[in-house]
Amino acid sequence: MLDELLAGVARGDEAAFAELYQVTSSKLYAVALRILRSKEAAEDVVQDSYFKVWERARDYDPKIAAPITWMATIVRNRALDEVRRKAVRPSADVSELDNLESDDEHPLEVLGRREDVDRLRRCLEGLESDKRQIVRLAYLDGLSREALAKRFGHPEGTIKTWLRRSLAQLKGCLEQ
Amino acid sequence: MTELDDIDGLAAEYVLGTLSREERAEAGARIVSDPAFARAVQAWERRLGPLAESVAPVQPPPGLYNKIRAQIGLASHVISLKAREQTMVRRANRWRNATAGMTALAASLAGVVMWQDYQRRQMPTQYVAVLQADKALPAFLLTVDTKSNMFVISAMQKPAEPEKSYQLWLVHDDMPHPKSLGVFDDSEMDVRPMSPTGPMHDMMMDGTYAVSVEPRGGSPTGLPTGPVVFSGKLVKSSP
Repeated sequence: MLDELLAGVARGDEAAFAELYQVTSSKLYAVALRILRSKEAAEDVVQDSYFKVWERARDYDPKIAAPITWMATIVRNRALDEVRRKAVRPSADVSELDNLESDDEHPLEVLGRREDVDRLRRCLEGLESDKRQIVRLAYLDGLSREALAKRFGHPEGTIKTWLRRSLAQLKGCLEQ
Repeated sequence: MTELDDIDGLAAEYVLGTLSREERAEAGARIVSDPAFARAVQAWERRLGPLAESVAPVQPPPGLYNKIRAQIGLASHVISLKAREQTMVRRANRWRNATAGMTALAASLAGVVMWQDYQRRQMPTQYVAVLQADKALPAFLLTVDTKSNMFVISAMQKPAEPEKSYQLWLVHDDMPHPKSLGVFDDSEMDVRPMSPTGPMHDMMMDGTYAVSVEPRGGSPTGLPTGPVVFSGKLVKSSP
């Protein structure tokens, strides 16, 4: 369904764009908000991202990624650029936004269960718990190596080693 | 355990988002310059992408969609005339392809049909183009008589809105932009001499004719500014 909407957007179909926004905006806004921890910054990033989706829908290739993955990648890249550029994220993480859930699974209802989502979850479960937490904090909350080092009380070098090992293990697991 | 090589490790951390600002900027530049690195990044985006789906949804502020719409609207207003022209030529090419097979006619908003009644009633006419939308009555009838070398434009409908005019254009790959063939405010007929040979003759014979809706009196820019409502090509109607 999302790929049909994206195909419509690629043809300049505004109704398809409106529906795409309806279906995906709460997910993409949440992705930006988790990383940026600022409603204003998240709103800006999501606005730019949808504009980019409108302009680049033609480039979307269903063979490379699921539609929501493609869109979330645009949002994450913008949000990460922004958070590294301005360091807008309060390091203490004390805000109302902190009660954003981070462990529950919330797939897009319209997509139903997707096999790649299940596989990644299984592979993440194969990591030791603190390694898994580091990967999630990095990917979902945008923590840099430096921030992870502070949070876990280890030198950055150790965090880097953990990250690379965890990622290698994930890759191996996903390719099985 | 599997180890990641340098490229893969960097790509993985780029996608995971753990690089510092400087490392991230360098990696971003490398995506553009190093196809192997770009492929590695893409592969990691695919591997880790499903993780983003586990985020609990949060409703964005209610005004956000309108801001996005405004940004898109603004962008579409500044589309240059050049882009309009290219669109026009692209459309014309599409019509040309569509009309190459007569079966596509029924599906096409605009089309070229043989105007047999006209042909029977008129003097021998060798080429004709009927420009019409989905109405039974043609909007424009173009005829070329190669014996008398006359080009006849018959405007058979006037624009629905009183402050608008129809403008007829010739679109051809060999011309940088559409050429205006006149502005039509009412049902009228225009007979013009036509050179029997030469590049203009050739373009008129195999170009695409398009009618756009313009402000009364014609396009202020000399190029189509309004929507194209009819189009078609000349077809040979008698031996």
